[in-house]
Amino acid sequence: MANLLAAQGGRPLRDGLADLATWLGVTLVAGSALWVVADVIWHGVGAVNWGFVTTAPQDAGRAGGISTILVATFLVLLVCMTAALPLGLGAAMYLSEYGRGPMGRWVRRSLDVLAGVPSIVFGLFGAVFFVQVLGLGFSILAGGLTLACMVLPILIRTTEMAFSGLPQEYRAGAAALGFGPSGILLRVLLPAAAPGLVAGLILGVGRALAETAVLIFTSGYVDRMPDSLLDSGRVLSLHIFDLSMNVPGGDHNAYGAAVVLLLILLVINGIGGWLSRRWIGRGIVAS
Amino acid sequence: MGWYDRWRGGLLAIGLALAMAGAACSSTADGAKAYPHLVITGSSTVAPLAAEIGKRFEQAHPGVQVDVQTGGSSRGIADVRKGNSDIGMASRALKTTEQTLLPFTIARDGIGLILHQSNPVNELSRQQVVAIYTGQITRWSEVGGLDRPITVVHKAEGRSTQELFLHHFELDNRQVKPHVVVGDNEQGIKTVAGNPDAIGYVSIGTASYDASHGVPIRLLSVDGVAATLENVRNGQFPLSRPLNLVTREVPTGVAKEFIDFARSTQVIDLVEGQYFVPTAGG
Repeated sequence: MANLLAAQGGRPLRDGLADLATWLGVTLVAGSALWVVADVIWHGVGAVNWGFVTTAPQDAGRAGGISTILVATFLVLLVCMTAALPLGLGAAMYLSEYGRGPMGRWVRRSLDVLAGVPSIVFGLFGAVFFVQVLGLGFSILAGGLTLACMVLPILIRTTEMAFSGLPQEYRAGAAALGFGPSGILLRVLLPAAAPGLVAGLILGVGRALAETAVLIFTSGYVDRMPDSLLDSGRVLSLHIFDLSMNVPGGDHNAYGAAVVLLLILLVINGIGGWLSRRWIGRGIVAS
Repeated sequence: MGWYDRWRGGLLAIGLALAMAGAACSSTADGAKAYPHLVITGSSTVAPLAAEIGKRFEQAHPGVQVDVQTGGSSRGIADVRKGNSDIGMASRALKTTEQTLLPFTIARDGIGLILHQSNPVNELSRQQVVAIYTGQITRWSEVGGLDRPITVVHKAEGRSTQELFLHHFELDNRQVKPHVVVGDNEQGIKTVAGNPDAIGYVSIGTASYDASHGVPIRLLSVDGVAATLENVRNGQFPLSRPLNLVTREVPTGVAKEFIDFARSTQVIDLVEGQYFVPTAGG
């Protein structure tokens, strides 16, 4: 260090400061993320056990577990992804392969606007359109579909970026080998874009799992075990919000539920990574 | 290349088609329900209590389903007016513009001013509270406390607690100069518990529960009356409110049964379990 200082005059100090700033930034970001996770686990891990995951909430959620909440959460997510995935994939394929005209620009512009809309607006829209106009009532179906509207922009833009990031040679090469347009899309571009697609999907799922504002007015507050998609069902994030903000003495179980939510997110991230690796491994491009 | 690679395109297409069909089917499904189904919406303060009463009611009446949805008193009133719900929940008395609706009180709740436990101030007069909330008094030293700035915690517009507080202290919301605006009671308590210089107002039941469970907050007396559930029960505490179920017409059928049940002595333990004051039986 002393040698460097002697050899380069004022430079090392500046470099050192830049180093310090970078490290500070990294530590701050990583540290705060770690702090949040550690805090949740520290407070919540004592509440989580097999019984917590398999029993229904009692006494407004202070006692009992979160079994019904978990079922409702997965059903809402299932409806959301079933509706959003085909639409999102289709729209992304269109945008990246054919969307260079005014139509594509228009679709992109409206997606950007949608992506910037606060989630409570989607919630109010869903509460009017799905719950009242379509007559679905407070239901898992209404919640899932409203959520689908909300995650579509992220899903489409990330997937589109994955497609347009692929080298033009893939398309030319596949065409030269005699693939038709659908063959190119499904057998060459789709497998190659899979990691980006999975990333988009996981971003969407993560946002969906974290959402309370959209679901409070659509899938609702009922914590009974749902019988069908037309039943109202409380999702995990809303349960955590209610327990920590509205129910005196609900903190313990709120932290427990938060630990479970964290675990679910980790598992989904893990599955996503595994899927995309597996898909590339088998893909035409990589083999 | 195995069979998987050869057929992957086809499999994908089939999968996509199935997914789309599923989405289409589910979105055209019929919303009608065969069994009696009571929809109750409104006040987030009443919602946990109503949900617990609903569960007990369902046990006593097999086949009936009670769906409780939260969202605030204003929403409860609007929903029951428009017929979006069977029963509304409001954590306040009905306003003069709402006299066409019918209120059924199931419990009472008081609203108390809270400070951080470490705050040495023991009592605030009515004038002092008004001065603090309108920004005329900005340091605790002016009311006998430490020389520190006051953090004013206020509730969001549309909250019944906020309306009752403003009404009691004869304030207009535009006069209030809040530093923090909160929603639910627990959020108010957490805000004050985390800030030694804060003052806020929340449900007395919630506050006394938290205070007795180690949360560092303290309830102040209002107009010289201690903020206890007992003083809310005997009617001496000036800042109290009814927790109401609201209907548009004279209730009949399941709705009437539910309202009668919620006002009966069969749910007193549930009312007390949510830290409210029961009104049934006396």
